Amino acid sequence: MLTRLSPEGLRTVIHGKIRSVLKERFGEDRAFSAHDKLAATLGLSSLDLAFLVADLEAELGVDPFARLVSITSVRSVADLERAYQQAFFPETGPPPQDDGLAAAAKRARTRRQRRQAK
Amino acid sequence: MQGTPTTRKIALVSGGSRGLGAALVSGFMQRDYGVATMSRTKTTFIDETKRGRDGAKRFHWAAVDGRDRDALRAFVADVAERFGRIDVLVNNAGLATEGVLPTMRPDEITELVDVNLTAALLLSQACSRVMLRQGGGCIINISSVNALRGHTGVAVYSATKAALDGLTRSLARELGPRRIRVNSVAPGYFESDMVKYVAPEQKERIARRTPLGRLATVEDIANAVLFLASDQASFITGQVVAVDGGITC
Repeated sequence: MLTRLSPEGLRTVIHGKIRSVLKERFGEDRAFSAHDKLAATLGLSSLDLAFLVADLEAELGVDPFARLVSITSVRSVADLERAYQQAFFPETGPPPQDDGLAAAAKRARTRRQRRQAK
Repeated sequence: MQGTPTTRKIALVSGGSRGLGAALVSGFMQRDYGVATMSRTKTTFIDETKRGRDGAKRFHWAAVDGRDRDALRAFVADVAERFGRIDVLVNNAGLATEGVLPTMRPDEITELVDVNLTAALLLSQACSRVMLRQGGGCIINISSVNALRGHTGVAVYSATKAALDGLTRSLARELGPRRIRVNSVAPGYFESDMVKYVAPEQKERIARRTPLGRLATVEDIANAVLFLASDQASFITGQVVAVDGGITC
């Protein structure tokens, strides 16, 4: 387990793990950015994500998905980074908004309002 | 031993202090596995195994209540740290409470679900994470013929065991791509603490209805589990193996 980790160091660990999962999965190094979607863009399966979380727990000694964050809210590399940042550095601010969930909730609200207006 | 990865296979058996669990602990020990088990209380079997050949090195027991979720997770983490890996999980710990559903106390229902099902789910979750990282493993759920056929007075027990079989099939699909096999063993009636409430005449009736003409022994059941855990069963996953002398056939 790592101790005394900076936010940047944490990001490096997470990216390193993603890189090794991608290499194992596709047999080659693949570049990615924080905005890439883990499944849709990078092609990772839910089992790959489970492996990634298990590996990160072994390395960092933390599993933010046990209580803090729902794994279903993690879509992108940045979402994953945020979940671990929240677990490691809760003092850095309120839990970040989940843009995907917020957008879905907004769409649902709009649909309801449209139905009521008819 | 602490934290040292080992090439020896490691089995974690829940509820290994007596009955089938103890037979499984002995069976894995005889096959040169490292064995970890937990139960609520220590028995003479635990002390004897610890004192036995290689017991201090290859055997680990801890007092864990199957209803304590954090303790279950902590136990798996400790076993993985202690032995360096977990190759086999046998979800054996279970309770059998008899009683027709309309008159069962709600806390009895909750306790059966907690011990027979929720604990197995949590142990499977924690162990599968270790197995994912090490690239393979094997989970065996101890189910029951009560999951396969209806019997009066065991509705909740049957529900928990049938749920384990559902877990077996789905988890086999989920984890198969990472070389983790998941199977169920569904014992028929066998001599153990869990059937001590069964009257002798009822046991005789069960034996008469069983094609092989007797109740199972603990070794009959343990042998099936040990086979499924072995490399000889390397292409078997998602199955429920009834070890019941043919009573459900």
